[in-house]
Amino acid sequence: MIQLTNVSKIYPNGARALVDVNLKIGKGNFVFLVGPSGAGKSTLIKLLYREETPTRGQVQINSKNLVRMKDREVPYLRRNIGVIFQDFKLLPNKTVFENVGFALEVIGVAKREVRNRTLATLELVGLKAKETAYPHELSGGEQQRVCVARAVINNPALLVADEPTGNLDPDTAWDIMELLYDINKRGTTIVMATHARAIVNKMQKRVIAIENGRVARDEEKGGYGYDA
Amino acid sequence: MKKKGDMATMLNSSGYIFRETINSMKRNPWLSLASVVTVMVSLVILGYSIFFLANAANMAKSFESELEIGAFVQIEYTPEEVQDLKSQIEQMPGVESVTLVTKEQALEDFGKTLGGSQGNIVSDVGGTNPFPDKLTVKATDPQNVKALASSLESNPGLYKVRYGQDFVDQLLKFTQWLRWIGFGVVAAFGVAAVVLISINVKMNVFSRRREIQIMKLVGASNSFIRWPFLIEGLALGLVGGTFAAVIVGLGYNWITVYVQSTLTFLPVVQNEVLFRQVSMGLLLGGMVMGALGSLFSLQKFLRA
Ligand SMILES: Nc1ncnc2c1ncn2[C@@H]1O[C@H](COP(=O)(O)OP(=O)(O)OP(=O)(O)O)[C@@H](O)[C@H]1O
Ligand SMILES: [Mg+2]
Repeated sequence: MIQLTNVSKIYPNGARALVDVNLKIGKGNFVFLVGPSGAGKSTLIKLLYREETPTRGQVQINSKNLVRMKDREVPYLRRNIGVIFQDFKLLPNKTVFENVGFALEVIGVAKREVRNRTLATLELVGLKAKETAYPHELSGGEQQRVCVARAVINNPALLVADEPTGNLDPDTAWDIMELLYDINKRGTTIVMATHARAIVNKMQKRVIAIENGRVARDEEKGGYGYDA
Repeated sequence: MKKKGDMATMLNSSGYIFRETINSMKRNPWLSLASVVTVMVSLVILGYSIFFLANAANMAKSFESELEIGAFVQIEYTPEEVQDLKSQIEQMPGVESVTLVTKEQALEDFGKTLGGSQGNIVSDVGGTNPFPDKLTVKATDPQNVKALASSLESNPGLYKVRYGQDFVDQLLKFTQWLRWIGFGVVAAFGVAAVVLISINVKMNVFSRRREIQIMKLVGASNSFIRWPFLIEGLALGLVGGTFAAVIVGLGYNWITVYVQSTLTFLPVVQNEVLFRQVSMGLLLGGMVMGALGSLFSLQKFLRA
Protein backbone atom coordinates (compact mmCIF):
# COMPACT_ATOMS: atom_id res chain seq x y z
CA MET A 1 0.00 0.00 0.00
CA ILE A 2 2.83 2.38 0.88
CA GLN A 3 6.12 2.25 -0.95
CA LEU A 4 9.13 4.52 -0.53
CA THR A 5 11.91 4.08 -3.09
CA ASN A 6 15.35 5.63 -2.52
CA VAL A 7 13.77 8.54 -0.72
CA SER A 8 15.97 11.40 0.47
CA LYS A 9 14.77 14.62 2.00
CA ILE A 10 17.03 17.63 2.36
CA TYR A 11 15.32 20.72 3.75
CA PRO A 12 16.08 24.08 2.13
CA ASN A 13 18.30 24.95 5.10
CA GLY A 14 20.46 21.94 4.30
CA ALA A 15 19.20 19.60 7.03
CA ARG A 16 19.39 16.00 5.77
CA ALA A 17 16.23 14.58 7.34
CA LEU A 18 16.02 11.34 5.33
CA VAL A 19 18.74 9.52 3.40
CA ASP A 20 18.00 6.86 0.82
CA VAL A 21 15.03 5.28 2.56
CA ASN A 22 13.37 2.19 1.10
CA LEU A 23 10.18 0.93 2.70
CA LYS A 24 7.12 -1.14 1.97
CA ILE A 25 4.09 -1.10 4.21
CA GLY A 26 1.22 -3.43 3.41
CA LYS A 27 -2.48 -2.82 3.65
CA GLY A 28 -3.82 -3.17 7.18
CA ASN A 29 -0.38 -3.00 8.78
CA PHE A 30 0.24 -1.32 12.11
CA VAL A 31 3.71 0.22 12.06
CA PHE A 32 5.65 2.09 14.74
CA LEU A 33 8.33 4.56 13.69
CA VAL A 34 10.89 4.92 16.46
CA GLY A 35 14.25 6.58 16.79
CA PRO A 36 16.04 9.41 18.51
CA SER A 37 14.91 12.99 18.32
CA GLY A 38 15.74 14.57 14.98
CA ALA A 39 16.07 11.17 13.28
CA GLY A 40 13.50 12.00 10.60
CA LYS A 41 10.30 10.35 11.82
CA SER A 42 8.08 13.39 11.44
CA THR A 43 9.58 14.07 8.05
CA LEU A 44 8.69 10.57 6.91
CA ILE A 45 5.12 11.01 8.17
CA LYS A 46 4.84 14.32 6.31
CA LEU A 47 5.89 12.65 3.08
CA LEU A 48 2.97 10.26 3.47
CA TYR A 49 0.26 12.92 3.47
CA ARG A 50 2.27 15.09 1.09
CA GLU A 51 2.91 17.92 3.45
CA GLU A 52 6.44 17.57 2.09
CA THR A 53 7.81 16.08 -1.10
CA PRO A 54 11.12 14.20 -1.18
CA THR A 55 14.22 15.77 -2.65
CA ARG A 56 14.98 12.46 -4.38
CA GLY A 57 13.14 9.19 -4.78
CA GLN A 58 9.51 8.18 -5.07
CA VAL A 59 6.64 7.91 -2.61
CA GLN A 60 3.69 5.79 -3.62
CA ILE A 61 0.42 5.20 -1.82
CA ASN A 62 -2.03 2.77 -3.36
CA SER A 63 0.02 3.02 -6.55
CA LYS A 64 -0.47 6.78 -6.67
CA ASN A 65 2.79 8.63 -7.09
CA LEU A 66 2.88 11.46 -4.58
CA VAL A 67 5.89 13.11 -6.15
CA ARG A 68 4.38 13.48 -9.59
CA MET A 69 0.97 14.30 -8.16
CA LYS A 70 -0.27 17.80 -9.02
CA ASP A 71 -1.03 20.17 -6.19
CA ARG A 72 -4.70 20.26 -7.03
CA GLU A 73 -4.94 16.48 -6.65
CA VAL A 74 -3.60 16.58 -3.10
CA PRO A 75 -6.99 17.26 -1.46
CA TYR A 76 -8.37 14.07 -2.97
CA LEU A 77 -5.38 12.12 -1.67
CA ARG A 78 -5.93 13.52 1.81
CA ARG A 79 -9.57 12.52 1.90
CA ASN A 80 -8.24 9.00 2.09
CA ILE A 81 -5.61 9.67 4.77
CA GLY A 82 -6.34 10.54 8.40
CA VAL A 83 -3.75 12.55 10.33
CA ILE A 84 -3.33 12.76 14.11
CA PHE A 85 -0.98 15.10 15.93
CA GLN A 86 0.58 15.42 19.33
CA ASP A 87 -1.09 18.82 19.81
CA PHE A 88 -4.55 17.73 18.54
CA LYS A 89 -5.10 20.81 16.34
CA LEU A 90 -8.74 21.29 17.31
CA LEU A 91 -10.63 24.48 16.57
CA PRO A 92 -11.22 26.15 19.93
CA ASN A 93 -14.44 27.93 19.01
CA LYS A 94 -16.15 24.85 17.66
CA THR A 95 -17.85 22.13 19.68
CA VAL A 96 -16.74 18.51 19.63
CA PHE A 97 -19.50 17.75 17.16
CA GLU A 98 -18.53 20.65 14.91
CA ASN A 99 -14.82 19.84 15.05
CA VAL A 100 -15.45 16.29 13.89
CA GLY A 101 -18.15 17.14 11.37
CA PHE A 102 -15.89 19.86 9.96
CA ALA A 103 -13.85 17.23 8.14
CA LEU A 104 -16.92 16.21 6.13
CA GLU A 105 -18.47 19.64 5.88
CA VAL A 106 -15.45 21.11 4.10
CA ILE A 107 -15.35 18.37 1.50
CA GLY A 108 -18.95 19.08 0.62
CA VAL A 109 -20.82 16.19 2.22
CA ALA A 110 -24.54 16.87 2.61
CA LYS A 111 -25.69 18.12 6.00
CA ARG A 112 -27.77 15.13 7.02
CA GLU A 113 -24.97 12.74 6.18
CA VAL A 114 -22.48 14.87 8.11
CA ARG A 115 -24.76 14.62 11.12
CA ASN A 116 -25.24 10.86 10.93
CA ARG A 117 -21.60 10.04 10.35
CA THR A 118 -20.39 12.46 13.02
CA LEU A 119 -22.65 10.88 15.61
CA ALA A 120 -21.53 7.39 14.60
CA THR A 121 -17.86 8.37 14.79
CA LEU A 122 -18.29 10.04 18.18
CA GLU A 123 -19.89 6.81 19.33
CA LEU A 124 -16.85 4.90 18.05
CA VAL A 125 -14.38 7.02 20.01
CA GLY A 126 -16.64 7.07 23.09
CA LEU A 127 -17.41 10.79 23.10
CA LYS A 128 -21.10 10.83 22.35
CA ALA A 129 -21.86 12.43 25.71
CA LYS A 130 -19.46 15.31 25.04
CA GLU A 131 -20.97 16.27 21.70
CA THR A 132 -21.69 19.88 22.68
CA ALA A 133 -18.54 20.51 24.73
CA TYR A 134 -15.78 22.84 23.56
CA PRO A 135 -12.15 21.63 23.38
CA HIS A 136 -11.10 23.60 26.47
CA GLU A 137 -13.74 21.76 28.48
CA LEU A 138 -12.12 18.39 27.68
CA SER A 139 -9.20 16.45 29.15
CA GLY A 140 -6.15 15.84 26.97
CA GLY A 141 -7.24 12.28 26.29
CA GLU A 142 -10.69 13.41 25.26
CA GLN A 143 -9.24 16.05 22.98
CA GLN A 144 -7.09 13.42 21.31
CA ARG A 145 -10.20 11.27 20.82
CA VAL A 146 -11.82 14.17 19.02
CA CYS A 147 -8.75 14.43 16.82
CA VAL A 148 -8.91 10.67 16.12
CA ALA A 149 -12.61 10.94 15.32
CA ARG A 150 -11.93 13.75 12.86
CA ALA A 151 -9.15 11.71 11.27
CA VAL A 152 -11.21 8.57 10.75
CA ILE A 153 -14.66 9.99 9.99
CA ASN A 154 -14.04 9.74 6.27
CA ASN A 155 -13.01 6.05 6.57
CA PRO A 156 -9.46 6.60 5.36
CA ALA A 157 -7.39 3.64 4.16
CA LEU A 158 -4.40 5.09 5.98
CA LEU A 159 -4.08 6.75 9.38
CA VAL A 160 -0.80 8.49 10.21
CA ALA A 161 -0.06 9.66 13.73
CA ASP A 162 2.89 11.75 14.90
CA GLU A 163 3.40 11.08 18.62
CA PRO A 164 -0.33 10.91 19.31
CA THR A 165 0.28 10.06 22.96
CA GLY A 166 3.10 12.54 23.46
CA ASN A 167 0.99 14.91 25.56
CA LEU A 168 -0.92 12.27 27.49
CA ASP A 169 -0.35 10.47 30.79
CA PRO A 170 0.32 6.71 30.47
CA ASP A 171 -3.23 5.55 31.30
CA THR A 172 -4.83 7.95 28.86
CA ALA A 173 -2.20 7.02 26.30
CA TRP A 174 -3.30 3.42 26.57
CA ASP A 175 -6.92 4.39 25.99
CA ILE A 176 -5.91 6.07 22.77
CA MET A 177 -3.82 3.06 21.75
CA GLU A 178 -6.79 0.78 22.29
CA LEU A 179 -8.81 3.04 20.07
CA LEU A 180 -6.14 2.95 17.36
CA TYR A 181 -5.94 -0.82 17.77
CA ASP A 182 -9.68 -1.09 17.10
CA ILE A 183 -9.45 1.19 14.09
CA ASN A 184 -6.60 -0.91 12.72
CA LYS A 185 -8.70 -4.04 13.30
CA ARG A 186 -11.33 -2.59 10.99
CA GLY A 187 -8.77 -2.55 8.19
CA THR A 188 -7.14 0.87 8.40
CA THR A 189 -3.38 0.92 7.90
CA ILE A 190 -1.68 2.84 10.72
CA VAL A 191 1.76 4.45 10.75
CA MET A 192 2.64 5.97 14.09
CA ALA A 193 5.80 7.83 15.11
CA THR A 194 6.40 7.55 18.84
CA HIS A 195 8.82 7.71 21.75
CA ALA A 196 6.48 5.65 23.96
CA ARG A 197 8.67 2.67 24.78
CA ALA A 198 6.10 0.81 26.87
CA ILE A 199 3.48 1.01 24.18
CA VAL A 200 5.79 -0.22 21.43
CA ASN A 201 7.05 -3.09 23.55
CA LYS A 202 3.61 -4.18 24.64
CA MET A 203 1.82 -3.95 21.29
CA GLN A 204 4.25 -6.23 19.44
CA LYS A 205 3.72 -4.64 16.03
CA ARG A 206 6.11 -3.94 13.22
CA VAL A 207 8.80 -1.48 14.32
CA ILE A 208 10.87 0.63 11.94
CA ALA A 209 13.74 2.45 13.61
CA ILE A 210 15.10 5.58 11.93
CA GLU A 211 18.51 6.95 12.82
CA ASN A 212 20.13 9.92 11.15
CA GLY A 213 17.60 9.72 8.39
CA ARG A 214 18.25 6.06 7.56
CA VAL A 215 16.29 2.92 8.30
CA ALA A 216 18.39 1.33 11.03
CA ARG A 217 16.10 -1.57 11.87
CA ASP A 218 12.86 -3.02 10.58
CA GLU A 219 11.28 -5.95 12.39
CA GLU A 220 7.89 -7.60 12.61
CA LYS A 221 6.58 -7.81 16.20
CA GLY A 222 9.49 -5.67 17.32
CA GLY A 223 10.33 -3.78 20.48
CA TYR A 224 11.29 -0.19 21.14
CA GLY A 225 14.90 -1.21 21.25
CA TYR A 226 16.60 1.81 22.80
CA ASP A 227 17.84 1.74 26.38
CA ALA A 228 16.32 4.28 28.68
CA MET B 1 -15.74 13.72 -12.96
CA LYS B 2 -13.83 15.85 -10.51
CA LYS B 3 -15.56 18.91 -11.92
CA LYS B 4 -18.96 17.44 -11.22
CA GLY B 5 -17.88 16.55 -7.70
CA ASP B 6 -16.83 20.13 -7.13
CA MET B 7 -20.22 21.39 -8.23
CA ALA B 8 -21.97 19.16 -5.75
CA THR B 9 -19.47 20.27 -3.15
CA MET B 10 -20.28 23.90 -3.82
CA LEU B 11 -24.00 23.28 -3.51
CA ASN B 12 -23.67 21.41 -0.25
CA SER B 13 -21.36 24.10 1.03
CA SER B 14 -23.19 27.29 0.11
CA GLY B 15 -24.42 27.66 3.69
CA TYR B 16 -20.92 27.26 5.02
CA ILE B 17 -19.50 29.76 2.58
CA PHE B 18 -22.21 32.32 3.30
CA ARG B 19 -21.69 32.01 7.05
CA GLU B 20 -17.94 32.41 6.73
CA THR B 21 -18.33 35.48 4.53
CA ILE B 22 -20.53 37.21 7.09
CA ASN B 23 -18.23 36.20 9.93
CA SER B 24 -15.15 37.50 8.26
CA MET B 25 -16.77 40.85 7.53
CA LYS B 26 -17.73 41.13 11.17
CA ARG B 27 -14.18 40.36 12.17
CA ASN B 28 -12.70 43.60 10.76
CA PRO B 29 -15.57 46.05 10.59
CA TRP B 30 -13.42 49.17 10.23
CA LEU B 31 -11.23 47.75 7.57
CA SER B 32 -14.33 46.53 5.76
CA LEU B 33 -15.78 50.01 5.98
CA ALA B 34 -12.59 51.57 4.66
CA SER B 35 -12.56 49.13 1.75
CA VAL B 36 -16.18 49.86 0.91
CA VAL B 37 -15.64 53.61 1.10
CA THR B 38 -12.58 53.63 -1.17
CA VAL B 39 -14.35 51.47 -3.71
CA MET B 40 -17.26 53.86 -3.50
CA VAL B 41 -15.19 57.02 -3.87
CA SER B 42 -13.33 55.74 -6.90
CA LEU B 43 -16.54 54.66 -8.56
CA VAL B 44 -18.40 57.87 -7.72
CA ILE B 45 -15.65 59.84 -9.40
CA LEU B 46 -15.72 57.45 -12.31
CA GLY B 47 -19.51 57.75 -12.62
CA TYR B 48 -19.56 61.55 -12.58
CA SER B 49 -16.65 61.71 -15.01
CA ILE B 50 -18.56 59.51 -17.42
CA PHE B 51 -21.65 61.69 -17.17
CA PHE B 52 -19.61 64.83 -17.52
CA LEU B 53 -17.86 63.50 -20.60
CA ALA B 54 -21.14 62.36 -22.09
CA ASN B 55 -22.50 65.86 -21.61
CA ALA B 56 -19.41 67.47 -23.05
CA ALA B 57 -19.58 65.23 -26.09
CA ASN B 58 -23.26 65.99 -26.45
CA MET B 59 -22.60 69.69 -26.20
CA ALA B 60 -19.78 69.54 -28.70
CA LYS B 61 -22.05 67.74 -31.12
CA SER B 62 -24.88 70.22 -30.81
CA PHE B 63 -22.48 73.09 -31.46
CA GLU B 64 -20.71 71.31 -34.23
CA SER B 65 -23.94 70.79 -36.09
CA GLU B 66 -24.61 74.47 -36.31
CA LEU B 67 -23.49 76.51 -39.26
CA GLU B 68 -23.83 79.69 -37.34
CA ILE B 69 -21.21 82.22 -36.49
CA GLY B 70 -21.80 84.69 -33.73
CA ALA B 71 -20.31 88.10 -34.57
CA PHE B 72 -20.35 90.68 -31.77
CA VAL B 73 -20.60 94.30 -32.85
CA GLN B 74 -18.42 96.99 -31.26
CA ILE B 75 -20.36 98.26 -28.29
CA GLU B 76 -20.25 101.95 -29.29
CA TYR B 77 -21.87 101.35 -32.73
CA THR B 78 -25.18 103.10 -33.31
CA PRO B 79 -28.17 101.13 -34.59
CA GLU B 80 -27.63 102.62 -38.06
CA GLU B 81 -24.02 101.55 -38.15
CA VAL B 82 -25.12 98.10 -37.09
CA GLN B 83 -27.59 97.93 -39.93
CA ASP B 84 -24.87 98.96 -42.39
CA LEU B 85 -22.55 96.34 -41.08
CA LYS B 86 -25.30 93.77 -41.37
CA SER B 87 -25.97 94.46 -45.03
CA GLN B 88 -22.23 94.57 -45.72
CA ILE B 89 -21.84 91.09 -44.31
CA GLU B 90 -24.87 89.84 -46.20
CA GLN B 91 -22.97 90.62 -49.38
CA MET B 92 -20.00 88.47 -48.45
CA PRO B 93 -19.53 85.22 -50.38
CA GLY B 94 -20.61 82.05 -48.58
CA VAL B 95 -23.10 83.87 -46.41
CA GLU B 96 -26.61 82.58 -46.50
CA SER B 97 -28.27 84.93 -44.06
CA VAL B 98 -27.55 87.36 -41.28
CA THR B 99 -29.88 87.99 -38.36
CA LEU B 100 -29.51 90.69 -35.81
CA VAL B 101 -30.01 90.13 -32.14
CA THR B 102 -29.98 93.58 -30.59
CA LYS B 103 -28.59 94.20 -27.13
CA GLU B 104 -32.12 94.79 -25.86
CA GLN B 105 -33.30 91.47 -27.22
CA ALA B 106 -30.28 89.71 -25.78
CA LEU B 107 -31.00 91.16 -22.37
CA GLU B 108 -34.61 90.11 -22.59
CA ASP B 109 -33.67 86.57 -23.63
CA PHE B 110 -31.24 86.37 -20.79
CA GLY B 111 -33.98 87.44 -18.42
CA LYS B 112 -36.16 84.63 -19.75
CA THR B 113 -33.52 81.99 -19.33
CA LEU B 114 -33.07 83.05 -15.76
CA GLY B 115 -36.79 82.59 -15.42
CA GLY B 116 -37.19 84.19 -12.04
CA SER B 117 -37.50 87.92 -11.48
CA GLN B 118 -40.04 89.78 -13.58
CA GLY B 119 -38.71 93.19 -12.53
CA ASN B 120 -36.01 95.27 -14.09
CA ILE B 121 -33.33 93.06 -15.51
CA VAL B 122 -30.96 95.92 -16.21
CA SER B 123 -30.79 96.78 -12.57
CA ASP B 124 -30.49 93.11 -11.74
CA VAL B 125 -27.36 92.81 -13.85
CA GLY B 126 -25.82 96.00 -12.48
CA GLY B 127 -27.33 99.08 -14.09
CA THR B 128 -26.04 98.85 -17.67
CA ASN B 129 -26.86 96.38 -20.35
CA PRO B 130 -23.78 94.21 -20.63
CA PHE B 131 -24.78 92.65 -23.94
CA PRO B 132 -23.45 93.77 -27.30
CA ASP B 133 -25.41 93.63 -30.52
CA LYS B 134 -24.91 90.29 -32.10
CA LEU B 135 -25.08 89.29 -35.71
CA THR B 136 -25.78 85.65 -36.29
CA VAL B 137 -24.21 84.74 -39.60
CA LYS B 138 -25.34 81.59 -41.27
CA ALA B 139 -22.91 79.98 -43.69
CA THR B 140 -24.05 78.22 -46.86
CA ASP B 141 -21.72 75.31 -46.25
CA PRO B 142 -20.18 73.94 -43.05
CA GLN B 143 -16.84 73.79 -44.88
CA ASN B 144 -16.89 77.58 -45.20
CA VAL B 145 -17.48 78.35 -41.56
CA LYS B 146 -13.85 78.61 -40.59
CA ALA B 147 -12.79 80.82 -43.52
CA LEU B 148 -15.83 83.00 -43.12
CA ALA B 149 -15.14 83.39 -39.42
CA SER B 150 -11.55 84.48 -39.99
CA SER B 151 -12.54 87.08 -42.58
CA LEU B 152 -15.18 88.37 -40.18
CA GLU B 153 -12.52 88.61 -37.51
CA SER B 154 -10.63 91.17 -39.59
CA ASN B 155 -13.72 93.36 -39.85
CA PRO B 156 -13.14 96.43 -37.63
CA GLY B 157 -16.84 96.64 -36.79
CA LEU B 158 -16.74 93.37 -34.96
CA TYR B 159 -14.85 92.90 -31.75
CA LYS B 160 -15.38 89.19 -31.31
CA VAL B 161 -16.28 86.32 -33.54
CA ARG B 162 -17.47 83.05 -32.13
CA TYR B 163 -18.31 79.98 -34.04
CA GLY B 164 -19.16 76.41 -33.11
CA GLN B 165 -15.89 74.84 -34.11
CA ASP B 166 -13.96 77.29 -32.01
CA PHE B 167 -15.93 76.40 -28.93
CA VAL B 168 -15.92 72.73 -29.80
CA ASP B 169 -12.14 72.74 -30.08
CA GLN B 170 -11.77 74.28 -26.67
CA LEU B 171 -14.31 71.94 -25.19
CA LEU B 172 -12.57 68.93 -26.67
CA LYS B 173 -9.23 70.11 -25.38
CA PHE B 174 -10.75 70.47 -21.95
CA THR B 175 -12.46 67.09 -22.01
CA GLN B 176 -9.20 65.52 -23.10
CA TRP B 177 -7.57 66.93 -20.01
CA LEU B 178 -10.47 65.94 -17.85
CA ARG B 179 -10.36 62.44 -19.24
CA TRP B 180 -6.74 62.01 -18.21
CA ILE B 181 -7.15 63.59 -14.81
CA GLY B 182 -10.34 61.66 -14.17
CA PHE B 183 -8.65 58.49 -15.31
CA GLY B 184 -5.70 59.17 -13.00
CA VAL B 185 -7.85 59.89 -9.97
CA VAL B 186 -10.08 56.89 -10.59
CA ALA B 187 -7.06 54.66 -11.10
CA ALA B 188 -5.43 55.92 -7.89
CA PHE B 189 -8.53 55.31 -5.84
CA GLY B 190 -9.12 52.03 -7.62
CA VAL B 191 -5.65 50.80 -6.71
CA ALA B 192 -6.15 51.94 -3.12
CA ALA B 193 -9.45 50.09 -3.01
CA VAL B 194 -7.90 46.89 -4.35
CA VAL B 195 -5.04 47.15 -1.87
CA LEU B 196 -7.43 47.70 1.05
CA ILE B 197 -9.61 44.79 0.04
CA SER B 198 -6.58 42.59 -0.32
CA ILE B 199 -5.35 43.61 3.15
CA ASN B 200 -8.82 42.90 4.45
CA VAL B 201 -8.88 39.45 2.93
CA LYS B 202 -5.33 38.74 4.01
CA MET B 203 -6.15 39.57 7.60
CA ASN B 204 -9.06 37.20 7.50
CA VAL B 205 -6.90 34.50 6.01
CA PHE B 206 -4.48 35.10 8.86
CA SER B 207 -7.10 34.98 11.57
CA ARG B 208 -8.44 31.75 10.11
CA ARG B 209 -5.09 30.10 9.47
CA ARG B 210 -5.72 27.24 11.93
CA GLU B 211 -8.98 26.46 10.26
CA ILE B 212 -7.37 26.62 6.84
CA GLN B 213 -4.61 24.31 7.99
CA ILE B 214 -7.14 21.73 9.12
CA MET B 215 -9.23 22.16 6.00
CA LYS B 216 -6.19 21.35 3.91
CA LEU B 217 -5.38 18.43 6.15
CA VAL B 218 -8.77 16.80 5.76
CA GLY B 219 -8.77 17.36 2.02
CA ALA B 220 -10.85 20.45 1.37
CA SER B 221 -10.17 21.55 -2.19
CA ASN B 222 -8.35 24.81 -2.72
CA SER B 223 -11.33 26.33 -4.46
CA PHE B 224 -13.50 25.46 -1.47
CA ILE B 225 -11.03 27.15 0.87
CA ARG B 226 -10.78 30.16 -1.39
CA TRP B 227 -14.47 30.75 -2.00
CA PRO B 228 -15.35 32.51 1.25
CA PHE B 229 -12.44 34.90 0.81
CA LEU B 230 -13.22 35.52 -2.82
CA ILE B 231 -16.86 36.15 -2.00
CA GLU B 232 -15.83 38.43 0.83
CA GLY B 233 -13.81 40.56 -1.58
CA LEU B 234 -16.61 40.52 -4.12
CA ALA B 235 -19.14 41.50 -1.48
CA LEU B 236 -17.02 44.42 -0.26
CA GLY B 237 -16.61 45.61 -3.84
CA LEU B 238 -20.27 45.13 -4.63
CA VAL B 239 -21.41 47.06 -1.56
CA GLY B 240 -19.06 49.91 -2.50
CA GLY B 241 -20.32 49.76 -6.09
CA THR B 242 -23.95 49.83 -4.99
CA PHE B 243 -23.42 52.90 -2.83
CA ALA B 244 -21.56 54.56 -5.70
CA ALA B 245 -24.36 53.79 -8.16
CA VAL B 246 -26.96 55.23 -5.77
CA ILE B 247 -24.92 58.35 -5.07
CA VAL B 248 -24.11 58.96 -8.73
CA GLY B 249 -27.68 58.24 -9.80
CA LEU B 250 -29.37 60.49 -7.24
CA GLY B 251 -26.73 63.18 -7.58
CA TYR B 252 -26.95 63.30 -11.35
CA ASN B 253 -30.72 63.40 -11.21
CA TRP B 254 -30.55 66.31 -8.83
CA ILE B 255 -28.01 68.17 -10.96
CA THR B 256 -30.08 67.63 -14.11
CA VAL B 257 -33.20 69.00 -12.50
CA TYR B 258 -31.25 71.96 -11.16
CA VAL B 259 -29.55 72.76 -14.45
CA GLN B 260 -32.72 72.44 -16.43
CA SER B 261 -34.61 74.84 -14.23
CA THR B 262 -31.88 77.49 -14.03
CA LEU B 263 -29.67 77.20 -17.10
CA THR B 264 -32.24 76.06 -19.61
CA PHE B 265 -29.99 76.76 -22.58
CA LEU B 266 -27.54 74.03 -21.55
CA PRO B 267 -28.33 70.73 -23.18
CA VAL B 268 -28.28 67.99 -20.52
CA VAL B 269 -27.98 64.34 -21.36
CA GLN B 270 -30.85 62.38 -19.95
CA ASN B 271 -30.39 59.02 -21.45
CA GLU B 272 -32.05 56.08 -19.70
CA VAL B 273 -29.83 53.58 -21.43
CA LEU B 274 -26.65 55.43 -20.49
CA PHE B 275 -27.98 55.73 -16.98
CA ARG B 276 -28.55 52.03 -16.68
CA GLN B 277 -25.23 51.20 -18.29
CA VAL B 278 -23.32 53.44 -15.91
CA SER B 279 -25.09 51.96 -12.87
CA MET B 280 -24.38 48.42 -14.01
CA GLY B 281 -20.85 49.45 -14.84
CA LEU B 282 -20.29 50.79 -11.34
CA LEU B 283 -21.61 47.59 -9.75
CA LEU B 284 -19.43 45.54 -12.04
CA GLY B 285 -16.46 47.81 -11.35
CA GLY B 286 -16.91 47.27 -7.63
CA MET B 287 -16.99 43.52 -8.09
CA VAL B 288 -13.90 43.57 -10.27
CA MET B 289 -12.01 45.55 -7.62
CA GLY B 290 -13.18 43.09 -4.99
CA ALA B 291 -12.18 40.09 -7.04
CA LEU B 292 -8.77 41.58 -7.81
CA GLY B 293 -8.21 42.38 -4.15
CA SER B 294 -9.04 38.82 -3.12
CA LEU B 295 -7.01 37.23 -5.87
CA PHE B 296 -3.94 39.26 -4.99
CA SER B 297 -4.07 38.09 -1.42
CA LEU B 298 -4.97 34.51 -2.27
CA GLN B 299 -2.55 33.72 -5.05
CA LYS B 300 0.38 33.32 -2.71
CA PHE B 301 -1.05 30.92 -0.19
CA LEU B 302 -3.05 27.75 -0.81
CA ARG B 303 -0.74 25.96 -3.10
CA ALA B 304 -0.50 22.46 -1.68
N1 LIG C 1 10.71 22.33 8.19
C1 LIG C 1 12.00 22.03 8.41
N2 LIG C 1 12.97 22.81 7.90
C2 LIG C 1 14.24 22.53 8.10
N3 LIG C 1 14.68 21.48 8.76
C3 LIG C 1 13.78 20.65 9.30
C4 LIG C 1 12.40 20.88 9.14
N4 LIG C 1 11.72 19.90 9.77
C5 LIG C 1 12.65 19.09 10.28
N5 LIG C 1 13.88 19.53 10.02
C6 LIG C 1 15.14 18.89 10.36
O1 LIG C 1 15.11 17.58 9.84
C7 LIG C 1 15.62 16.64 10.76
C8 LIG C 1 14.57 15.57 11.06
O2 LIG C 1 13.50 16.19 11.75
P1 LIG C 1 12.19 15.41 12.18
O3 LIG C 1 11.24 16.41 12.68
O4 LIG C 1 11.76 14.57 11.03
O5 LIG C 1 12.71 14.49 13.34
P2 LIG C 1 11.88 13.54 14.32
O6 LIG C 1 12.45 12.18 14.15
O7 LIG C 1 10.45 13.71 14.12
O8 LIG C 1 12.29 14.13 15.73
P3 LIG C 1 11.41 14.13 17.10
O9 LIG C 1 11.46 12.77 17.63
O10 LIG C 1 12.14 15.11 17.96
O11 LIG C 1 10.06 14.59 16.70
C9 LIG C 1 16.05 17.44 11.98
O12 LIG C 1 17.43 17.68 11.86
C10 LIG C 1 15.29 18.73 11.86
O13 LIG C 1 16.02 19.78 12.41
MG1 LIG D 1 8.84 14.50 15.22
